Amino acid sequence: MIQKKICMVGVFGTGKTCLVQQFVHSIFSVKYLSTVGVKIDRKEVQVGDQTVTLMLWDLEGRDGTHDVSPSYIRGAHGLIYVVDGTRRETLDQLHEIREMVRGAVGEIPSVVAVNKIDLVEEWKLTDADEAAVQSRGLQHFRTSAKTGAGVEETFKWLAEATLGKAEA
Amino acid sequence: MTPEPAENVTNGEQSSAEFAALRKLLIGPEQNRLDELSHELESRELTVEDVADRLPEAIALSGSRDEQLGRALGPTIETALRESIRRDPQEVATAIFPVLGPAIRKAIAETMAGLVRSINNAVEQSLSVNGIRWRVEAWRTGIPYAEIVIKHALVYRVEQAFLIHAESGLLLEHASAPDLDVPDADLISSMLSAIQDFVKDSFHPEEGATLRTFSVGDHTVQVEAGPRALLALVIRGQAPTEVLRKEQDTLETIHLEFASQLADFTGETAPFAPARPLLAGCLETVLTTQSKKKRRLVWLRWALPLFLVVAAIAFLWARSNMRWNRALAALRAEPGYVVVDASRGFRRWNIDGLKDPSARDPRTVLAAAGVEPPNLAGRWQGFLSLDPAMVAARARRTVDSLERAVEGERVFFDAGSSEISELARDRIRRVAILVEQLDREARALGGGMSLQLTGRTDPTGRDETNQTLAQRRVQNVGEVLLAAGVTSSKLKPDPVATARPLEATDADQRARINRSVSFDVVVSGATLPRGGTK
Repeated sequence: MIQKKICMVGVFGTGKTCLVQQFVHSIFSVKYLSTVGVKIDRKEVQVGDQTVTLMLWDLEGRDGTHDVSPSYIRGAHGLIYVVDGTRRETLDQLHEIREMVRGAVGEIPSVVAVNKIDLVEEWKLTDADEAAVQSRGLQHFRTSAKTGAGVEETFKWLAEATLGKAEA
Repeated sequence: MTPEPAENVTNGEQSSAEFAALRKLLIGPEQNRLDELSHELESRELTVEDVADRLPEAIALSGSRDEQLGRALGPTIETALRESIRRDPQEVATAIFPVLGPAIRKAIAETMAGLVRSINNAVEQSLSVNGIRWRVEAWRTGIPYAEIVIKHALVYRVEQAFLIHAESGLLLEHASAPDLDVPDADLISSMLSAIQDFVKDSFHPEEGATLRTFSVGDHTVQVEAGPRALLALVIRGQAPTEVLRKEQDTLETIHLEFASQLADFTGETAPFAPARPLLAGCLETVLTTQSKKKRRLVWLRWALPLFLVVAAIAFLWARSNMRWNRALAALRAEPGYVVVDASRGFRRWNIDGLKDPSARDPRTVLAAAGVEPPNLAGRWQGFLSLDPAMVAARARRTVDSLERAVEGERVFFDAGSSEISELARDRIRRVAILVEQLDREARALGGGMSLQLTGRTDPTGRDETNQTLAQRRVQNVGEVLLAAGVTSSKLKPDPVATARPLEATDADQRARINRSVSFDVVVSGATLPRGGTK
């Protein structure tokens, strides 16, 4: 059995927790996020004939900031950055977070989930913004915690990436 | 280099020079190359500089290939180290000090932690609220304390063992009790390591310190951290120190046996499947490891007083037996006793038999034998013993009573008279009969007797008159005795007159009682001692 530690980081309110809530196996309540700053869920993904178990560490910055503890990121095999498509500043903060995470674990497979695509009217990101993300070498997916759009793809892509099988 | 002319080859008497030329023709080029190489080798000197240049590279290369270099250098390095220490120990001590200090501290800390835990356990076991409560319960219900302890004895059970990758928190292997279903072991594993991180981040303990135990209800999670993996045991109940020791041992073994797998771990847990038996080895359901000791102790606690009580009873029984036997022996040996039936109850002795009236009181007999009877009862039938001692005692008693009877008699006279009245004559005759009996008894005892007749007068009158009067009184009494059959040889006249007067309260009375002849018996040669029969 293959397990991978995946950390989910992102500013408060980007829907990290909602993003995984319906698609993962979880035994810990959301309360953990505000108390210990981490909630762990499990997501199994099929890659070819292999089942990869992703242990998803949903990290919450203390006081709702993006200042997550480096101890939690230690040993991670992959990262999911969650950005709120209706709040442009969350994209800008992504880069700060990325620098911090790089300092803690170096370069590891990462994916950006641009969330809340169901809120079409409030959408603030332009195609150029997303292209900029792509240009920084980050794979990105548009997701919706509400409809479930793009969620499976995001996890699947990351699982493949941690196995070294993803296509950029 | 040109080839030799061909016509020379066929010549029969070729000189050796020609043969050499042929050889040169055939292997000339090779010979030349050999000569060159030989020259090159001879002229080439491997300089120290060359070695210095190549050595680090060579060592690195060798090290990456296999461990041969390490093995080869081992003894040399050991010798060098020994030599260095011999020359200046301080140098080496200074060099390894930064390593040594923390290592020693860690070892001591580990030992102390184990010690403190075992002390805590011991104290809790003996002074715990439970211990006191159980004692009260035992006292209240009347059930022995041992049973109460067993009823409540804490069963500890190591239910689950998690082998967790230290860096990623991923579950490497997991073992649980057979009846336990743990579908989310991987989630628990990750959360455990997250909590470890949380505690470390929150309290900033010193380097290497980890969250080692935490308890929820009667569950305790005991975490041992190694450099690459953690081993967490979920324990129900009170685990003894041995569990911790076993956990440490297991973790060390895993680090040793799975060193490369741990170092190269990227998420594939299959290589750790062989660690499962090691984890399973940590699981155990122990019914009262502690109370085994306790039960042994309780057994002792009961056995010791029981033994003492039994020993005391045995001792008392033996002593009582001894005293009983001694008492019976004393009574049987005592003259004038025949023990017919003897029985013993609780603090009550019943001895029946025959007892000569002359024999000593049974209590006296027993006291003389050094036995204080608890409660002596029994019926004694009177009998006359033919035991020589008894016979003698009886005779002695008869002698004594006769003696008293004789000495109780006194013949009184009127003032200045030595006349014996009719009444007095009868008394003297009675004395004569007693004396006859007394003489018989005394002879039976192997002796003889004499009767002293003490004649007195009152103090009035002259001494010569009184002396004569006293003699006459004695003589008259003696005559009556002789007439009654008493042999004269037994009679010892003693006319003291006023010499040894009898005393009385008033003068008249004194005068009256001194106008008398009194009898004193002297028994001689009787072999048996007096006394014993009172």
